[in-house]
Amino acid sequence: MKWITARRRHPLAGYVVVILALALFGVGYAALAPTADQAQAQTLAAEAPSADDVDIAQGKTIFDQTCASCHGLDGSGSDLNGPDLREVGSAAIDFQVSTGRMPSMDPNNQMPRKPMVMTEEELANLIAYYDAQIRTDGAGADVPYEVPDIAPQRADFDDEESYEEALAEYEDEYDAYIEGADDVDMGMKLYLTNCAHCHSWSGGGGALTDGRWAPEIHDSTPREIYEAMVSGPGAMPMFSDGAISPEEKQELISYVKTLQAEPNAGGIFDLQRVGQVAEGFISWTVGLSLIIACAIWITAKQRAHD
Amino acid sequence: MTENNNNDNTGDGANQRVVGTPTDTADVVTEVPAGAESEHNGPYLASETHPRGEEQQRRGEKIASLWFILAFLGGIGFIVSYFLFPPTAEGPAIADPQISQYSNMLLGGTLTVALFGIGAGMTVWARNIMPHYEVASPYDEMPSKEEEKSSFSDFFMKSADESGITKRPLMRRTLIAAMLPLGIAPIVLLRDTGPVPGDLMKHTRWADGMRMYVEGTHRYIRAEDLENDPYGMISALPALNDEEYPHGISLNDQAKSVILLIKMPEDDWKDGMDSPVREGSDETHLNWTHQGIVAYSKICTHVGCPAALYERTTHRILCPCHQSTFDAADAAKVVFGPAHRALPQLPIGVDDEGYLVARGDFNEPTGPTFWEYAKD
Amino acid sequence: MSKTTQAPKALRGVGNFIDDRFHLAKTGEKNLRKVFPNHWSFMLGEIALYSFIILLVTGVFLTLWFKPSMVEVVYDGSYERLQGVPMSEAFASTLYIDFDVRGGFLVRQIHHWAALIFLASLVVHMLRNFFTGAFRKPRELNWIIGVLIFALAIVEGLFGYSLPDDLPSGMGVRILQGVMLSIPLVGSYISMFLFGGEFPGEDIITRLYMLHVLLIPAILLALIVAHVFIVWIQKHTQYPGQGRSEKAVVGTPMFPGFAVKAGGFFFFTFAVIAGLSAFVQINPIHLFGPFTPTSITSGLQPDWYMGFLEGSLRLFPNTLDFQIFGYPILTSVLVPGLGAMGLLFGALGAWPFIEQWITGDKAAKNMADRPRNAPVRTALGVAGITVYGVLWLAGSNDVLSETFSISLYLTTYIFRVLVFVGPVVAFIVTKRICLGLQRRDRETLEHGYESGTVQQLPSGEFIEVHKESSEDTVAVLESKPVITSTALEEDATDEKGVENPAARKPMGKFRRALAHWYTKDNVSFDGVQAHTGHHLHHSADHGDDKAH
Repeated sequence: MKWITARRRHPLAGYVVVILALALFGVGYAALAPTADQAQAQTLAAEAPSADDVDIAQGKTIFDQTCASCHGLDGSGSDLNGPDLREVGSAAIDFQVSTGRMPSMDPNNQMPRKPMVMTEEELANLIAYYDAQIRTDGAGADVPYEVPDIAPQRADFDDEESYEEALAEYEDEYDAYIEGADDVDMGMKLYLTNCAHCHSWSGGGGALTDGRWAPEIHDSTPREIYEAMVSGPGAMPMFSDGAISPEEKQELISYVKTLQAEPNAGGIFDLQRVGQVAEGFISWTVGLSLIIACAIWITAKQRAHD
Repeated sequence: MTENNNNDNTGDGANQRVVGTPTDTADVVTEVPAGAESEHNGPYLASETHPRGEEQQRRGEKIASLWFILAFLGGIGFIVSYFLFPPTAEGPAIADPQISQYSNMLLGGTLTVALFGIGAGMTVWARNIMPHYEVASPYDEMPSKEEEKSSFSDFFMKSADESGITKRPLMRRTLIAAMLPLGIAPIVLLRDTGPVPGDLMKHTRWADGMRMYVEGTHRYIRAEDLENDPYGMISALPALNDEEYPHGISLNDQAKSVILLIKMPEDDWKDGMDSPVREGSDETHLNWTHQGIVAYSKICTHVGCPAALYERTTHRILCPCHQSTFDAADAAKVVFGPAHRALPQLPIGVDDEGYLVARGDFNEPTGPTFWEYAKD
Repeated sequence: MSKTTQAPKALRGVGNFIDDRFHLAKTGEKNLRKVFPNHWSFMLGEIALYSFIILLVTGVFLTLWFKPSMVEVVYDGSYERLQGVPMSEAFASTLYIDFDVRGGFLVRQIHHWAALIFLASLVVHMLRNFFTGAFRKPRELNWIIGVLIFALAIVEGLFGYSLPDDLPSGMGVRILQGVMLSIPLVGSYISMFLFGGEFPGEDIITRLYMLHVLLIPAILLALIVAHVFIVWIQKHTQYPGQGRSEKAVVGTPMFPGFAVKAGGFFFFTFAVIAGLSAFVQINPIHLFGPFTPTSITSGLQPDWYMGFLEGSLRLFPNTLDFQIFGYPILTSVLVPGLGAMGLLFGALGAWPFIEQWITGDKAAKNMADRPRNAPVRTALGVAGITVYGVLWLAGSNDVLSETFSISLYLTTYIFRVLVFVGPVVAFIVTKRICLGLQRRDRETLEHGYESGTVQQLPSGEFIEVHKESSEDTVAVLESKPVITSTALEEDATDEKGVENPAARKPMGKFRRALAHWYTKDNVSFDGVQAHTGHHLHHSADHGDDKAH
């Protein structure tokens, strides 16, 4: 400590602290900033559960306990800001529950993405109950089971081997879906003309009116993106399979997921791909400050004991 | 603020020769080793020069050299990094973004080390080996002396008179006249940089019966494609195929004719939809829709960004650039922000095969509002 | 101390060769002896100069491959993700620089970071000159040249940003065109002629390229050379201190001291820019994708130096728009798009003359003001920074709205209020701070500085021991100029008893009111002797210490 005490009044001490702080900031940022790889890893494919696998009775229990207080026992909605569910389709249910937006603690505010509160199995039961009892004549869109969802979780498997097997299978399926798209131009046009104005070119999200926002879609799985398109959650308009066909959706999803997974050719710091605002900020706070610190070194007063 | 006074060696290290105070006037000399004055043969006055001690200079030399060696290694590293990523059979290695990132960081990192090393070495040199200078240099008196000024003015006026420019008005004026057309000529030459606006900006390629593509695809869209979108939206272009454009349609035409197809329940229409599409017309905005589907120009009337951010809950169309907001349920009237006028609307219907078609051109010129937009 | 050595033979040969032809020995020595004051804030302009040099060098490198053409091609280069996408040749050739030219990506990033640093250093350099009054006679013209450089640099940056023809850059051009179209009467003609037809046409990149690499840099270079040349002739200002005067500048001579320092500083500047470019990705056009006029992204922003224009375009409402005979007058575009720029540069350029008109001070000033000693100017400067800052922030209100979950429209309303209230508050607060600092200066001058040592007197009283400030500090403190104005004297009659006619005209009265406002608040140092140790009474000081 003596060493520090002796030097902390040194004329350059302040700049040393600033530079150290900047370095720390940089290292911390590099450590904390999510990388594209991590974001990509959590996705899973599943097939439509067969009638034998699901427990509609359990689905009813879940619905009555967690959904009915706002949406009504018959799903027709209520004054508590719970919209009518009868025509939204199972894709909407899957999207809202699997992204943790439903059940909501505060229905009057926009719900951010959260971990799902129930298990995959419970969700399957809930959807089976919804399809059987609440949905009107198959209105709305179905869950697109052929599109990959989240990756299998280790906790759902008894042994390592079967987990890795499932994971490898999932990854093949995921890659097949992403690489199955072959028209970048179409995917890009569809994304940039119909999505980017809210979710931004990088999928980083953006502001809407009245304090709402378009969420960032880095963590979204292809299936979630698909479901969001067909069901139009929140203020988002709908893009049914008529408006944008399943193959076109695959191009679009492949475009944005590939873009998000791409390493940053320009360096490890991507400034969260925010773009010009962040670049301007860095040019002042890091660039100009460091150069001025050098100028201060060049011209700093020297004392006899230096 | 006293920082600027680089007052070296105000303390007196035993091994340092402190030669003077920083002022050019003061000649107080403390602890000058015998013979220092006579030894001083630098370019500046001894009182303006504060040499470093020999010990400091020797240490400085070592540190500066270390920096220069580091810089040298950085420079070598830079050149090596360049050749680390040679082109391969499929193309350059750096075509892969990950490799490109490594290449960029290696090249940039070594370059940074090389540059910083030189900078730091030079700074150590200046601060530890070179004397510290406090040289005074007088400011020049800017205005010339009175006699110089009058001599100049006298000379100038006499010479001007002698040249005849003041006395020969005919020559002077004709010279000016001769210059004029030449001065205008460059502006005239710029005339061919572009066409006059005429009606160019007032019409688009949309015409009665023209189908529309979902933008990005070459697929015609039908009204029933949107039957599962009670709150739908899609960006569309006129179904044109110009051979010479990879997009099928030139960017100029895209910029003018792109539309946002919006579908909403017909109960949501507001009163503005019943007003005429333009003054004196018996068509209303509502007549120009088809089963809850309405087509507005996607280009903001403010300064031309695509106003594409549509919120299905509020029916607001918002431009992400400057946040002009239009109400899609109310003939795209401006409800917030700087835009001057509503988004132009395209009349739509279906043809006998069920495809959505335009029934004519927009009710107003699309794009940023310009001076003569409202005139035919 | 080595003996004076004879110049080496080779050097003498070259020297004689040049001198035989140009007679440079005397001028050469004079210039090598040129003195530069030692303070970091005098090096801010050098950052601008060096980043400009870096821009020239890297720009030349980029032109080796860049094709300023808007011809549409289908990309089949080596960057895999965009293969098969139609794009302009400009965009495709930029991809080529990024992914086929080794080091091309780095140089492009250096070019862009250097541009951001160039503009930023221009701003801080300008602020330094403003707040220290370095724009005063005889340096007004150089100040104006500086303002011109700043304005041109913004345009140069905007055009350079537009060249790769990527999504955000094309939108920048679109906004530029939208602003042009709003000009009454001739707007559509200007747009048609500049773009060679309708937007986007096939000419604009080629034309902007010519402006960006030839015309504007040539003008910038000429202005920068003139700027440096004028500094060379007039010499730097300097901060007050011991041994400093209006008569002579004190500092390090060009040769050898400053040459080495400045040389080192060039390398530092380049090193920081290269370091940023190595590790921080900037303007990743390959990720944005090519421009089409129908695509848009949220969070769309220009580079920072255009931010205040973007902000003013967002803030200005359409309620003041009106029509004349069916022709629109688009104040919502004209005022923020063109007016803001004109106001900023007009006010900056005119200020030296306005200040001189207010004070009537025609003397040459070589001694820099300490900002606190010109409270009204300093407060005005901070108010100006506040307006600029509010507009700049407003240019990213969507990012702010999203980050802090504030309603988007609310941010607009808040900024509309702040753009008027902010500068007023900033002015008042800054002036108070300046006067407070002046008062502290007077204390320090009278009593020395607080040493931090507390002593107990025999009476039991505790006092903090004050020590005498150094001679240099005293010199700095005593240098405080008295701000006066000739306008305040002109209301008196002249020696013949005739009233000054100019002072009675409206302009004269206005000028007197301004002069009063400019000079009224001031902590007088009259009669204060260094280290006299006792508080002086304020009452004797003409009662002009209004801040009490």
